[in-house]
Amino acid sequence: MRNPWAQTGNYRTSYRQDTSIFATHRELVSLLLFLGFLLVLPQFLSRTQVFILDLILVYSVAVLGLNITTGYAGLINIGQAAFMGVGAYTAALLAPQGLPFWLVIPLGGLVAAFFGFLVGIPSLRVKHLYLAMATLAFQVVFEWAVGHMPLLKQGGAMDMPRASFFGYEAGFRNHFHFWYYASLFTLVLLALFFRNLLRTRYGRALVAVRDNDRAADAMGMDPGRTKLFAFALGAFYAGVAGVLYAYLSRAVVIEDYVFAHSVKYLAMAIVGGLGTLVGSFLGPLFLVLLDVNMESLSNLIKALGFSVAGVDVASALRPLAFGLIIVLFLMFEPRGLYNWWRLVRSYFRTWPFKY
Amino acid sequence: MSQLRVESVTLTFGGVAALSAVSLRVERGELVSVIGPNGAGKTSLLNVVSGFYHPQRGHIFFEGQEITRASPHEITKRGIARAFQNIELFSGLTVLENLLLARHTYLAYGLAQAGVFYGKALGKEVENRRAVEEIIDFMELEPYRKALVGNLPYGVRKRVEVARALALSPKLLLLDEPMAGMTLEEKEDMVRFILEIRAQGTTVVLIEHDLGVVMDISDRVYVLDFGQVIAEGPPEEVAQNRRVQEAYLGVEA
Repeated sequence: MRNPWAQTGNYRTSYRQDTSIFATHRELVSLLLFLGFLLVLPQFLSRTQVFILDLILVYSVAVLGLNITTGYAGLINIGQAAFMGVGAYTAALLAPQGLPFWLVIPLGGLVAAFFGFLVGIPSLRVKHLYLAMATLAFQVVFEWAVGHMPLLKQGGAMDMPRASFFGYEAGFRNHFHFWYYASLFTLVLLALFFRNLLRTRYGRALVAVRDNDRAADAMGMDPGRTKLFAFALGAFYAGVAGVLYAYLSRAVVIEDYVFAHSVKYLAMAIVGGLGTLVGSFLGPLFLVLLDVNMESLSNLIKALGFSVAGVDVASALRPLAFGLIIVLFLMFEPRGLYNWWRLVRSYFRTWPFKY
Repeated sequence: MSQLRVESVTLTFGGVAALSAVSLRVERGELVSVIGPNGAGKTSLLNVVSGFYHPQRGHIFFEGQEITRASPHEITKRGIARAFQNIELFSGLTVLENLLLARHTYLAYGLAQAGVFYGKALGKEVENRRAVEEIIDFMELEPYRKALVGNLPYGVRKRVEVARALALSPKLLLLDEPMAGMTLEEKEDMVRFILEIRAQGTTVVLIEHDLGVVMDISDRVYVLDFGQVIAEGPPEEVAQNRRVQEAYLGVEA
């Protein structure tokens, strides 16, 4: 019996084994160790730091959804923030009725999925840039509709109640910690679900309509239904992210779900690596940390009193860094951070051999 | 009764008639070739049969049922598979995944089962993997199983294209120039595969430019020119047909 812990290659001997996600024991164990690390991590961080982690987790859920629609199925979606908004407003209406958060989260996702299904209908006819316009239209209609609905306070702040879980109340001190664990659990669950889909006909169908929807049709699958499925599933993830974000920020405001945020999610998906699962986490991680660091850097510059002709240069640093990073990625690493991850991983997998 | 019946099908694009009143019959287990000069309407005929185009006039029947207006995936489900002329594989997937994709309709499990990847989903995946492996074995694609299709050489991709159509377990296989652009050796391999597929009981409709191959392996040949059937019959008969010779060699002045 070969030692499974010293494994460097493919030991699979049956088709059943070949469907497994992890090639080696080491991969599985290192992922479990990493998850364990994530579980204890907040205990060593301040509330503000945990809040930043919360943002990364929530964004990851939204970007994962965007990756399903745009990365895997190839349907450009520049209205992901609006789908998040649908989830968030669903939460703002349901949560004050006394519904528990673990019910509101999937409900918000389902309502968003329904809107995703509707917005996906044009994808049956139009492709590429034209489809992007259709999703942009949804974004615009969403913002306008919320702005004119008294039920939704016309986009003004709608309060979200604090959550409790079997008697455990999320108060002022543990609010961010509470939502850290809730978001982490949701993210792991949704990521696992999608990773499983990827090894079944559902996942393959997504890639098929992206690569060649004519041939997909000839394979006996309905490309139209697959596209609608991609939109609905991507929007479901966005809706879930919206509910999480609503609870996290304890209010729902239209500004959190406007077009600029849709672009931000698209940027995160690209920087992470379009059409990759791991990229959905790396993108938000990288861009959120970049933003935080740029903010402290600009505060530092501000404190030094550096300004040109009365213009506060420091505050331009954040958008500038954001834009620059995206341009650099598009130029030099269009496959995103995922590619670096892949290289590092394959190095460790075969270590100490070169290949 | 014929397995495939095409009855006076007319397909026009604007004012251009790609097919005018084309009729064709294919019996179960036959190997029928469709030949003709460039632009004669051969690929249009396949597109009509496989549901990518719908004819303005005429009817198409497969095993007695009308499929004239059916969409490509409905036609595929009834047992007609097609390999494309200009390779239309899923380049971002491996050979294995491309073939598994063709098993889509055989993988009957729900979204929930797929999401947990347990029970029926796992069982069906393994079962269909076995079916796909048989085709990989048959088409001699073992070295490329886990290679991305986009990175494979042309001759191999052509073979994957045919293998993918085979993975649909069709009753009728439509092959659109499976040997175009191949070397002599690759062509010989492909002919071997086609004869073997046919020997296993699958009906084959072949479009091919290499007349040597067509005349050697076909049971019957249809000749198209300017969207019309100008001759039909066993290869030796068709080769003697004056109109066929004119279409290929031009009219003697």
